[in-house]
Order: sequence, then C-alpha cells, then structure tokens
Amino acid sequence: MTQWFEDITLNAPYPLGAHTFTQAEIIRFGTLYDPQYFHVDPELAKQSHFGGLVASGWHTVSVGHARMVAALDAEGERLRGLGEEPGVSGPSPGVNKMEFKAPVRPGDIVSYTLTVTGKRPSNSIPGWGLLFNTIEAHNQRAELVYRAELVGFSKLRDYKMPLRLRLLQALTRVPGLGKLLRP
Amino acid sequence: MTNTVTADRRHFEDLVVGEVITLGQVTVTRDMIFAFAREFDPLPFHLDEAAARKSLLGGLAASGWQTAALSLRMLVDAFLGKVASMGGLGFSDLKWKQPVMVDDTITGTATISALRRSRSHPERGIVTLQFDIRNQNNDPVMSMALANLVALRVPDAPLETAL
Repeated sequence: MTQWFEDITLNAPYPLGAHTFTQAEIIRFGTLYDPQYFHVDPELAKQSHFGGLVASGWHTVSVGHARMVAALDAEGERLRGLGEEPGVSGPSPGVNKMEFKAPVRPGDIVSYTLTVTGKRPSNSIPGWGLLFNTIEAHNQRAELVYRAELVGFSKLRDYKMPLRLRLLQALTRVPGLGKLLRP
Repeated sequence: MTNTVTADRRHFEDLVVGEVITLGQVTVTRDMIFAFAREFDPLPFHLDEAAARKSLLGGLAASGWQTAALSLRMLVDAFLGKVASMGGLGFSDLKWKQPVMVDDTITGTATISALRRSRSHPERGIVTLQFDIRNQNNDPVMSMALANLVALRVPDAPLETAL
C-alpha cells in the first residue's frame, strides 16, 4: 500500500483498474506457462466444457498483480507530487487462498479491487507490519472471476529500533565480524 | 459427445493418492525475468540489476508469480497435458520460501494428496497436488496445494462407489 502501515484503513475497497483480455495475449501466456488445449487452441477448445478458449487462471492473476503494482505506483507518485512521503511495501511471503470462480474469455474486461482486511506488526522482521489483503476480480457482467487472500509486508512509520538491535546492526558493519553475525 | 483431445488420456479413475509426479527443470535466465517483470511485475528488483543488488533480495530475482507460472508449466508438461484436465479451481498455502535468482535452475515434485468427486458436477473429479519446488542447491523455493478438475471416464458412475 502507499499508505503507511499505521494509517491503513481496514475493509475499504481500493480499485486497481481494469484489463481487456485479447485472444492473442491469452494464447501467448498459455503457450509459455499453461499450454493446455483450452488455453492455446481456439478450435480444440470448443471440445472442452468451456466451449471455447479461456485464459489461464495464472494469467488473470498475473495481470491482477500488474494492475496492483501500477495503481500503487501511480498513487505513490501522486502523493510525492503533494510533498508527502508514501508508505513502503515489501515482498510477499505468500498467498493463503486463491479461488478461480469464472473463466475469462477473449474480449472480457476484468476489473480488480484490493481490500486490506487485517494488519499486525511482524514478529520476524522488526520495523515491518503484515497486511492481510483480499484481491477480487470481476468481469464486465459483474461475475466474480477470482478471489485471493494474500499476505504482504508494509513498513512501519513510527518504529524506533531498540538499542540492542541498533548495536547489533552497527557491529555487522565491522569488516570480518559482520559475516559472523549475519544469519 | 466424445472429447477427441482427451479420450486417450488418463481420467480421474486412473489417479491414486500418493502418486509422485517428477517435474522437469527450467533455468531462469535474465531475459526471462525481464520479460515477465516488464508485463506483470515491474518492480526494480525484477527489472534492474543495479537496483536489485541494493534491495532486500540482494540481486536480480524472478517475480514470485513467474516462479509459480513456471512450476505450473512443468506440471502441464509432466501431468496436466496427459490427463483429461478441465482446468484449475485454485490453490492454497502458496509460500515463497526463497527468491529464485538469475540463472537458478528450478525443479521439484507434485504429489497427489487428495482425490474427490465434485458434488455439484459429479462427472468431474478434483485432484489436489502438493508442490515442492527446489533450486539447484535443493533449497525449497516454493510450495503450494493446487486443486484441478479432471473428467471421469464414466461420467455417471454413482458418487458412493467413487473415491
């Protein structure tokens, strides 16, 4: 998120934008990562229970991730333009749950929404918090395409490192000694 | 109506819990990382080697979503392309345990951990596959449980006689 951990409001849906899936890009992604016949061959796909070509679920999810990166980047730029320092996101440790609910067909327009449903300070990484995020994707008929529950890291603004950790960090910068102290 | 694509493939009845699918392997090159990141994950530590060296990851690393997509590709080649797959239902407990760095080679296994009939569509079975993806040093890089639909050969088999 572009907000600081302390400022993030729970359960407030944040729109990430939409994407139109073309047949060409569905086939391109399928050919590289998910070459099952209903993701790569419009003719053979007619024999599947889908009745035609559909996007790989991993394609719709990857586009959702791209939308999120772009939306948060744009919001960060907007805040910097106002002279504010945006919050900092870290890498994600994983995804608790992903449900593919409706197939995406060529020409479908998929809209993505991010909702933070929970947050707590990290136990393992001092100075960072954990965000529990839900991403939902809907098509132009308002059908749910997928729902994902993800975990993400977010930097704490008000964190003060304890003296013990500051000392340890300073010691890791000492040549030779640092190698021994680092995990 | 017979599906000529999948008629000769393994069906739900042919699968057993405990079957271990050995996945192939793929070396993740700089160009592959850049191509995926430009389209789906344009963050500095996936796009710029100098920025990546200064990041938490310490060097150019593949997007976690690319690691997942490449793992799926290995499963399609070794398994999903050889069974009467009807597409994925989703996954759970995906964990990125370690970043996949440039020129790492990933491989691993997928183990059938559960099989059950769909209640809403009895002609479909649900196979759960537990992924264990590792790098060339045998360090775990990703795990997840994937749920995929596989058609029954005998679609009207009574629910109670099936697995």
